[in-house]
Amino acid sequence: MGRYQLKAGQLAAPAKPVAVIYLEGAPSARAGNTVSIMGQRGYQFEHHVLPIQTGTRVEFPNHDEDYHNVFSLSKTKRFDLGRYRMGENPPALTFDKPGVVRLYCEIHQHMRGVILVLDTPYFTTTTADGKFRLKGLPAGSYNLKAWLDEKTILSAPVTLKAGQTVRLNFDSSNRK
Amino acid sequence: MTPVLLLSRTQQVRLACTLGTAILLLGGTTQAITLLPPDSPVDATLTGSIDLETYSIDQPAPGLLFTDDDTYLEPRLSLLLDLQWGPHWSAFVQARLDRGFDPGARSDGDIRLDEYAIRWSPWGDSMLNVQVGKFASVFGNWIPRHLSTQNPFVTAPAPYENVFGITDAAVPLSREAFLGRKTQADKKRDWLTQIWGPSYAHGASLSGRLDQFEYAFEIKSNALSSRPSAWEARELVWYHPTITGRLGWKPDPAFALGISGSTGAYLLETADATLPTGSDRDDFKQDTVGIDLRYSIRHFELWSEFIFTRFEVPGVGYADLASFYVEGRYKITPSLYAALRWNQQWFDDISDGHGGSPSWDRDLYRVDVALGYRFARNLQGKVQYSYGHEPGLNANGSHLLATQITWTF
Repeated sequence: MGRYQLKAGQLAAPAKPVAVIYLEGAPSARAGNTVSIMGQRGYQFEHHVLPIQTGTRVEFPNHDEDYHNVFSLSKTKRFDLGRYRMGENPPALTFDKPGVVRLYCEIHQHMRGVILVLDTPYFTTTTADGKFRLKGLPAGSYNLKAWLDEKTILSAPVTLKAGQTVRLNFDSSNRK
Repeated sequence: MTPVLLLSRTQQVRLACTLGTAILLLGGTTQAITLLPPDSPVDATLTGSIDLETYSIDQPAPGLLFTDDDTYLEPRLSLLLDLQWGPHWSAFVQARLDRGFDPGARSDGDIRLDEYAIRWSPWGDSMLNVQVGKFASVFGNWIPRHLSTQNPFVTAPAPYENVFGITDAAVPLSREAFLGRKTQADKKRDWLTQIWGPSYAHGASLSGRLDQFEYAFEIKSNALSSRPSAWEARELVWYHPTITGRLGWKPDPAFALGISGSTGAYLLETADATLPTGSDRDDFKQDTVGIDLRYSIRHFELWSEFIFTRFEVPGVGYADLASFYVEGRYKITPSLYAALRWNQQWFDDISDGHGGSPSWDRDLYRVDVALGYRFARNLQGKVQYSYGHEPGLNANGSHLLATQITWTF
């Protein structure tokens, strides 16, 4: 059996699944000099899913004692960072194209992560129990989407007025 | 063993096309299958792979290719069941359906349990693991990466697949007869390799990791050179075990160094009748020592092993050989890699009884070049070309072209 070995306590539980909530159809500009972090800690990706706006740079710091080798063969972004150790950060990558980027580690095959590249600055992630708050939205009529995974995207129409707070529950029958 | 396939050349091509298409269509789909509900005290996970290998061979076929044909198709289904009971107990079973453990060894079809073992981790970590069953040897650094998903090449390095004129089935009739094997074509169903592939013999092991150091010791039913048929449960005999160990040092994620050693009788029961009077199988051992090295940085990985073996041959004395390989892999793009391996094997001189000292088998050098492409995380293809050279009559063919496509789930 060619399995890698980890020391006691090294393997953390995977990050809790969350949904990404984003506003579709709102006017947006490309992200400025924004940097997001998708670290590896406890032989897991630190985020189950990391939402970013197109044009964002993402860094991939390794916080473990062993090598990691993050790669993705997704159509949205294909890359392979090679092997790198703690403190030896590989080059940050800029994500220019909206879509789903599935992340893996070539060495630790249980590791799974997602970067969701969105064409909007209006997004957030839910808590583990599914609650969210999305602030600073422009007035108008849009679709609010909840991305759970590539096959499960819920959608709800929403009309926003200046200064108004809207409460919304997604209906799981309203899939994309 | 269940006969399954009797294939003509045309059928092989059709099967290759069908399986290849199926694998490409399946690529990117499915993950490991969880067999039990989440609240079960036992986690049971089924994973597997489908490999499709083709070989274009310059005869006599080199290495562990058991075919007289110029082309050969080897499909393989592997299923791996992992069981975990809490932090201390785990087990695994690996089953395979193919045309023989080595390509062509049972060309009419074969189904086997290649590995099965139960593991106890008393502290629930990697400090100490006790394992009993049928599993890969702890020797060296190629065996832990011998599966098709981890090996940059289609074939194994020379020490793990080059056959030479030592047999476990009978004692040589004379020194001349032993030396005469050197000019014969390899008898792969009778002769041995230095280490036969991953050496899935039965036994028990202690292994673990303490800070920068790794250790592993095993007692197995058969020698490292033993053939797959000798590993089967019905052949299991414990009278002449082999003891193998490895100590590893990994001071840095980039670098790992290991030393391995193994000793044990290599002759099988069938050789008993031909043993010299008053001797026992335990009097004739295979002793092997090795040093292994791994280095990796960014997109480059390097592995190397030097392995020395001494066979005690009845009526002949010591037959020594040494092997060396170094291989590197470089990822050119996220999907494409190139790999290069240099293999060498040297056979020592022994007295011919008439004042001469010829080497007891043919020295070998071989270069392997491979390209690999990852179509998806769980779908990869490889193409390998090998050029090998052995001097003398009936030497193995020099050229080998091999391809492999692997889908994992």
